[in-house]
Amino acid sequence: MLGPYTYFTWLACTLLEASVVVCALKQGAFRRYLPLNLWMLLELLSGVSRFYVLSTYGLQSSAYAYFYYYSDALTTIGLYFVLASLYSRVLDELKVEYYVRMAAILLLSGTAVVSYLIVRQSSHLLVTRFAYELHQNLYFVGLVLTYLLWGVMLKLRESRTRVIQFVLSLGLLFSMFAANYALRNLYPNVSWLWNALPPLIDCFLPLAWCYTFLKIPEEARLMPSRLAEASR
Amino acid sequence: MSRKLTVTFLTMLVLVGAMGLKTVVVTHGDGSVMMANGGGGPVPPTPPLGNGGGGPVPPTPPASAPWK
Repeated sequence: MLGPYTYFTWLACTLLEASVVVCALKQGAFRRYLPLNLWMLLELLSGVSRFYVLSTYGLQSSAYAYFYYYSDALTTIGLYFVLASLYSRVLDELKVEYYVRMAAILLLSGTAVVSYLIVRQSSHLLVTRFAYELHQNLYFVGLVLTYLLWGVMLKLRESRTRVIQFVLSLGLLFSMFAANYALRNLYPNVSWLWNALPPLIDCFLPLAWCYTFLKIPEEARLMPSRLAEASR
Repeated sequence: MSRKLTVTFLTMLVLVGAMGLKTVVVTHGDGSVMMANGGGGPVPPTPPLGNGGGGPVPPTPPASAPWK
């Protein structure tokens, strides 16, 4: 059953996603961070369309299930391109854009092939399973890529505060989902809590990006290596 | 050429690392879904596994089944 909590967090998340795009436009950063903003728009569109499909066909309908998993696969591919664009931005001084693009295409194709190999026997539900598997696999690839990117940023002494904020927010999002999953397995008797947290965690990323666009100017600089030293 | 090979090697390394991580998580987890819920909305039932755990593929479900 869908309660007011589900609708409230869903609405909050959708409004925050819209706010990110509005803040980026207001600060004149929409084109500079085009992949991030396009991804937020895609998430926003996905949320609104899901609401339409849900209210038309219902939660238990196959239409909603198909739409949910296909749109999720699409938004995860979008997230993957956001990560690729952040890599390009961090490595732009090394002039390796061509190699970043090549790696991104290779990794996406590799993930698609692995997903297909996993689901190829389920011929009668191949497309659905493929979308679901690709989504899950890309999620893990994204998680590894985000931690790697943070390592690269520390190594290259990336100092653009906005870029640092974007990457750290993504890292924190992945970490929170992973922690929630681990805790759900450790303490299954409070599963209601672990099931209630993901919608809140979802709101975190647009909130953090909104804050970044609003409060952190493009020229702001920070030394992430100092942050790492301070935590030791 | 060596740069391209390095990129390919690193890409494969990331892919293997991610798939290995996924395998560890799925093996030690309760089999439930772990992923960001982009776009919001309640999660519908998970599509049935095609070949997870081995065994023959079950017959095609009837038209009324939620997953086809």
